[in-house]
Amino acid sequence: MEGQILPPESLTNEAIAERLTSTALKSLKKRTIKKKNLIYLELNGCSGNIISLLNGQNPDFEYTLNSMVDLKFCNSLMAAEGEPAIEKLMKAMDDEYILAVEGAVALKNNGLYNIIGSWQGKPLTGLQAAKMLGEKASHILAVGACATHGGVSAAKPNPSQSVGLQMVLPDKKMIKLPGCPVHPDWFLGTLAHLLLYGEPETDNLDRPLMFYSTLIHDRCPRRPFFDRGIFAEKLGDKTCLFKLGCRGPVTRVDCPTRQWNGHVNWPIGDNTPCIGCAQFGFPDAMAPFISYDTTRVVKNE
Amino acid sequence: MQNIEMISMQINYLVTQARHDIYTLSTLSDTSMKPQILQRLWDALSTIHFLSEWLANQAKTSYHFLPSQPSIPVPSGNLNQSQIPPITPLPTPPISQSNQRTFTIGELATFTGKNGRPAYVAVNGIVYDVTNNRAWAAATHFGLLAGKDYTQEFASCHAGQQSILATLPVVGRLV
Repeated sequence: MEGQILPPESLTNEAIAERLTSTALKSLKKRTIKKKNLIYLELNGCSGNIISLLNGQNPDFEYTLNSMVDLKFCNSLMAAEGEPAIEKLMKAMDDEYILAVEGAVALKNNGLYNIIGSWQGKPLTGLQAAKMLGEKASHILAVGACATHGGVSAAKPNPSQSVGLQMVLPDKKMIKLPGCPVHPDWFLGTLAHLLLYGEPETDNLDRPLMFYSTLIHDRCPRRPFFDRGIFAEKLGDKTCLFKLGCRGPVTRVDCPTRQWNGHVNWPIGDNTPCIGCAQFGFPDAMAPFISYDTTRVVKNE
Repeated sequence: MQNIEMISMQINYLVTQARHDIYTLSTLSDTSMKPQILQRLWDALSTIHFLSEWLANQAKTSYHFLPSQPSIPVPSGNLNQSQIPPITPLPTPPISQSNQRTFTIGELATFTGKNGRPAYVAVNGIVYDVTNNRAWAAATHFGLLAGKDYTQEFASCHAGQQSILATLPVVGRLV
């Protein structure tokens, strides 16, 4: 067998890397592996996740587009507009594709509160697009708070009757990446895992364990203060922000070790409480983001 | 006052360790070690902070009987208890005496966790203290405010998770 590695085969890093690269190149030539198509759909939201994605490093966005996927549709980033853009979306459905969705699905008035384009002279609603594209996708990534559970779009009083993507695709398996916005690494890392090894291991809420397994509280650099009952009384204090309303103890994600904006800092590192943006139910369930009347100490009960 | 001696020994040890860590950091070429060393420095500093607060408090409260104390040997069990702070700040001491206290729903409503009040909630007729419970930051929990009866909410979100209640300090019963 040609592909088998028989001893004595060199096991240095260079040799292994060389074998991997040449195998990959051969497979590309023989078309046994190929870049996958990605459709990035923006529904009822603020485009915050795509902005966050542009801040990605290792891999950065350019590498993502050149080497990881063929981006077939993304209304924020594509040159086409109007019906020609939607035409590209429709054409992309003929091939296999990975679907990434950010933003919630607005249900009110049969989806009319969120129109993402027009097709054959008629408005195309986010609801229609989510159902149509979701049914055919090989994999679905729900990106950000709104797509995973409704998020800010579904916050009270929810005038557009927004829901998470799963609500309109109840039978489809999807990977959920909550966060407001999602960290570029959470999205790109999950996408890379999907391309290289298939679906990543997830928890019972469909979040990839490689990013969402640890409570912020358990890796917080200020944990010693919590354990000793030393609490910050105002923003800017360097101690535990629990009494101000920090949601680190109920939020599972790797912010303390990963950090943001090119891995340089994160909310608690900047003396402001975690607002639990990567927790289901954000923002209503995580409110109030800040409280001062809980930190005051009035003597004598 | 062996107690205070032990605390000061602990502080000295932490200071020595912190100095060593600073030296290590200044000569470090392998940056992968940096976060761990910084974390340890941070931990050491917060422990020193805590211990110095404790010492200052101790100095304020027990100043007057300092001279008479030194010759009396303190049982080691007591010593250990008072020397190291508990891992999680549970306000158990003042509460354990009032275990059988009864609350009306109106009384319960005053324990909101605000303005220095403790935060209490009731489940199945038992009143629990959630003041320093980590899931109750700022006396709120997934949109719920302290000072109320959450029997139904608990049943709908934490069915079969009685163990959660078992870890909470009980303050009394709801009548």
